[in-house]
Amino acid sequence: MSSRRSSSRQSTSGVSRISDDQIIALVSKLRHLLPEIRDNRSDKVSASKVLQETCNYIRSLHKEAEDLSDRLSQLLATIDADGAEAAIIRSLLM
Amino acid sequence: SHHCFSLEQINGVPTHFSLISSPSLSEPLSWILIHFLGSVELLSLSATSFPLLLSRLIFLLFSLSIQEEVLARMRSPFSLKQEFLKKWILGLQRCRSSKKNMSIFERKKVIKLSADVAMASARKGTTCWSRALIAYAVKEGNADKHLAEKILGPASERQPTEKVTVGAMAYNKRIRSKKILKRSSVIRRTIKCAPQAARPSSTVKRLVGKRRQILRSLIPGGEFMNGVSLIEETLDYIISLRAQVDVMRSLASASKLVNLN
Repeated sequence: MSSRRSSSRQSTSGVSRISDDQIIALVSKLRHLLPEIRDNRSDKVSASKVLQETCNYIRSLHKEAEDLSDRLSQLLATIDADGAEAAIIRSLLM
Repeated sequence: SHHCFSLEQINGVPTHFSLISSPSLSEPLSWILIHFLGSVELLSLSATSFPLLLSRLIFLLFSLSIQEEVLARMRSPFSLKQEFLKKWILGLQRCRSSKKNMSIFERKKVIKLSADVAMASARKGTTCWSRALIAYAVKEGNADKHLAEKILGPASERQPTEKVTVGAMAYNKRIRSKKILKRSSVIRRTIKCAPQAARPSSTVKRLVGKRRQILRSLIPGGEFMNGVSLIEETLDYIISLRAQVDVMRSLASASKLVNLN
């Protein structure tokens, strides 16, 4: 999983400086998660482009989750009420 | 796609599940589930106990199959998908008793909310976004607050959140009163912003502005995140969203498969 509690995490007492390297490393990790930019081999993708693609990607994931919830609720409605398979799925989901 | 399993019944009670063809590991998760089901003989079971037993069996095998898939793709041993699925089904079962015949709209709400809560609680309080998501879900004034609480289960079974970080303090009602909270978060936010203002490096400059605001609006609790923490939280949030969507998609295709049979 992504690295947690890296050294850049600020302590409550002091104020730490965020190094450029840390930010660059994180931004490149983000880049590798994004479907579109991943295919683009160039290293020169700007941070603002990464941010933009990130926002688009999150929005598309939200929409997909929404659509899948719709589909799942409909699948439950249309499953033949008597079937044994229906009982299986229904007992799993509801 | 063809059906690869058959279900024999005696007097309406399913007795035998058998595998006709075995799919390869590269096929969707639903096929992996069937692959693991193999041949199950279930004789002399009453009609009431069978669905329960089988659902547990399927759940167990489903979890195993997800774990297998994860290991096969050489991700980390800890399966986020497995954790999410376990919590999602738990949440759904907690809502089961309420009404016999729910409308599609209500059912969708239950499915979506329990999926989001499961995705967040799979993080076990280690990330800010996951704590924020759950806090929003049970916040006073939230229309679905009671539903969320039902999904989360009794307070004794809820997971204790880990040590809260600065941004998440705002959402942990149990710890601070609102007054102290507001004061401290404003002070800490000022401190946090100070180094960025005092040392405007080019990289940091690229992270300000409208795009950053939009990103913060997309992530639960995003308005309390800054700089490095924002990117870290974004990374984790995207990974969790992907796991959620993958599992939901697999279940949808498995349901459709069963429906067609």
